[in-house]
Amino acid sequence: MAEPTVSKRTYFFTFLSLLGLTLLTTLLGFLDIGSLNTAIALGLATVKACLIAAFFMHALHESRTVRVVMFAGVIWLLIMISLTVVDFMSRSW
Amino acid sequence: MTPVLETAVAPNYLNETHGIRSWLLTLDHKRIGILYVASITVFFFLGGLFALLMRLELLAPRAWLLSPEEYNKLFTMHGIIMVWFFLIPSIPNTLGNFFIPMMIGANDVAFPKLNLLSWYVFNLGGAITVFALVRGGVDTGWTFYTPFSTTYSTTYVTAAALGIFIAGFSSIMTGLNFIATIHRMRAPGMTWFRLPMFIWSHYATSLILVLATPVLAITLLMMAVERIFQVGIFDPALGGDPVLFQHMFWFYSHPAVYIMVLPGMAVISEIVPTFSRKPLFGYTFVALASMCIAVIGFLVWGHHMFVAGLSVYSAMGFSFLSYLVAVPSAIKVFNWSATMYKGSISWDTPMLYAIGFIGLFTIGGMTGLFLAALGVDVHVTDTYFVIAHFHYIMVGGTVMAFLGGIHYFWPKITGRLYPEGLARLSALIVFIGFNLTFFPQFVLGYLGMPRRYAVYPIEFHMLNVLSTAGASILGVGYVFPLFYLVWSWKYGKKSGPNPWRATGLEWTSDSPPPKENFEVTPVVTGPPYDFERMREELGLG
Amino acid sequence: MAEPATLILREQFRTPVQQRETATLGMWIFLATEVMLFGGLFLAFTVYRMYNPAAFIQGSADMNIMLGAINTAVLIGSSFTMALAVHSAETGDRKLLTAFLTSTMVLGAVFLAIKFTEYYLHYLDRRVPGPGFSFPGPEASRAEMFFVLYFIMTGLHALHMFIGEGILFSMILRNRAGSFTAEYHTPVELAGLYWHFVDVIWVFLFAIFYIEGLHLHGK
Repeated sequence: MAEPTVSKRTYFFTFLSLLGLTLLTTLLGFLDIGSLNTAIALGLATVKACLIAAFFMHALHESRTVRVVMFAGVIWLLIMISLTVVDFMSRSW
Repeated sequence: MTPVLETAVAPNYLNETHGIRSWLLTLDHKRIGILYVASITVFFFLGGLFALLMRLELLAPRAWLLSPEEYNKLFTMHGIIMVWFFLIPSIPNTLGNFFIPMMIGANDVAFPKLNLLSWYVFNLGGAITVFALVRGGVDTGWTFYTPFSTTYSTTYVTAAALGIFIAGFSSIMTGLNFIATIHRMRAPGMTWFRLPMFIWSHYATSLILVLATPVLAITLLMMAVERIFQVGIFDPALGGDPVLFQHMFWFYSHPAVYIMVLPGMAVISEIVPTFSRKPLFGYTFVALASMCIAVIGFLVWGHHMFVAGLSVYSAMGFSFLSYLVAVPSAIKVFNWSATMYKGSISWDTPMLYAIGFIGLFTIGGMTGLFLAALGVDVHVTDTYFVIAHFHYIMVGGTVMAFLGGIHYFWPKITGRLYPEGLARLSALIVFIGFNLTFFPQFVLGYLGMPRRYAVYPIEFHMLNVLSTAGASILGVGYVFPLFYLVWSWKYGKKSGPNPWRATGLEWTSDSPPPKENFEVTPVVTGPPYDFERMREELGLG
Repeated sequence: MAEPATLILREQFRTPVQQRETATLGMWIFLATEVMLFGGLFLAFTVYRMYNPAAFIQGSADMNIMLGAINTAVLIGSSFTMALAVHSAETGDRKLLTAFLTSTMVLGAVFLAIKFTEYYLHYLDRRVPGPGFSFPGPEASRAEMFFVLYFIMTGLHALHMFIGEGILFSMILRNRAGSFTAEYHTPVELAGLYWHFVDVIWVFLFAIFYIEGLHLHGK
């Protein structure tokens, strides 16, 4: 396997994007926009995580099983958080 | 001239190498399975000893043998040892380790060194937990609810939590190994829908092992941090919430019960077709049901918290989902029954245990539906009804399946036959002892006897005496196999490769199997449980 | 130049491809378990943030955004060098592999140094939870919960970084002993997966701890 999975160019642009998104997250954080603050911060973090997974971790080139494992982890986390939060949120209904 | 032994034993995984080092440093999944048998047997009898002491105490309505504080420690340690050091590893790490590679036509698991490491990690966790026990025990209940566990208990909570935390790593390693093995190590022709049901159920179990156990780890860690540093993560004074602990604890512990029962179902799915001489009915449905149990099992944990202060909407949701999760289990029970219908039934010991499982698991499962109903649960939660419910599943279910599996696979593992007459008698003793122990507890719970109490009102006396009588009989039933199985390893009649005339790759190798399982990698060309083909090949018409 | 080591095909595998793919799958499954491990803490944060929004935002405003942002850039940089290390391994360039592994280690160490500096600054400001905790304003006890979670979550992350440093170091040693070639460098790939994952965790920690209260800076 002398053929690299991902080129150095792709890594470099991913790196730049990640730095850029970090800068963007920080700058946007200074704005006082209420609950949008959290949504934007987490949204941008998610984009960064996807870039790291797709390019640095080669997720785009891995087998379908690996991608299923990746999504399963994320989905289970969301299940755990959402079903628990539903309890706390609905106590006051 | 020295006489030549007539019955020379072929080289197999047991006699190929000798000495304690070849066992303690083995990478052979079969030997590791046996190492685990040794460990869990010790823990089973230790946990069983605690149960016996508890039942002795409950012979009288007052605290006559133990103080209430000592009793609290007993039920805690009984729960911890039985859940984490017996039930969870019982079938996967023994029969799973031994047979998953053989059933898929592989010569070992994906990561043999990880497998061996998991055994050492497991024993380390067990040793630390036993240390907590010996130093004075833990009294929080196996559920470690806060704030008692974090703030008020003066017992060895942190040590016990550490032991369980470490044992959790062993669970994760095992689940990871099995998933990788089943995905990547199947023999040519062994497609997913040709896999024995044992594999499907263990695959579902492994999914739960890897996704749920880390949450237990972090929950115990947070509890320990609060206890050691007195920083109230679950303390309302700091804005914390003890119910959050319960959410996190049960997010793991409910799926954990499926870790405990799915492998039992795996064994039953192998035994019933063999002793009915018929393919497993509705194979695809049973396979998908295993996966549904694993997935839906993650969505129901709130049913342990109906009286803890959940919002009523959340409680209704969890109640509905708890009814839903019973459906795939019921599908399995129907399909096992349909497998037996018009089959040619043999009443050998494994089948006795399997039939016992089906009946007792059904009772346990249906009483779970009682508990899933919000109104009923308010009345019977934290009573002996719950205790009876889960013991019907864990003991009437998993332990019976474990014994059935051990007997079923004994000839393959050891190359010897166990004494059938004595084994059937033991199965009967177990069945009678079990029901006498736990059926009265349904009644006790319904009448209002709370769990985790060393003392009780006089009107509950008779039922408690019956239950303790049953427990002594059950104990005898468990001790018999310990003796006759060990005896049979040396003196039992020798077994051929396939004494039960079962289908499956594991029965094509010698008994005991060679170290590499198969001389030549098998190629699979047909579905499992193909008794039709077997009859043709044997010329039985 | 020494003869490159030949691929060790373990007994249980039939082909090198099967071995590599199985190892990769195994590492991804492990990372899924780590998602659930950290996930429990993210759950606690979510619940308590819902309960005490003002206190948590104030706690976040108390964080040092400069150090946080620099650390994020450092860790992203280390992921970049790690990716380049895997690239070097894939092309069989052992010297470059050592260089990039070392750079990754160095950047990781810089991250840890900055983190512990931050911890020390928190300690001086009496933001360490416990009897000595102090925080201005009426939300002090609720803000203490913010800091409890901050220390546990970033602490667990830092522990993973330390383990990562150990893994990288062992990769460097094995590379120098000639274990890795273009045909076989799976441990380097797996080390990379682990390192990137720890970076992903930090990306979320940065968002929830440092960004939330930024709009209060200077007020």
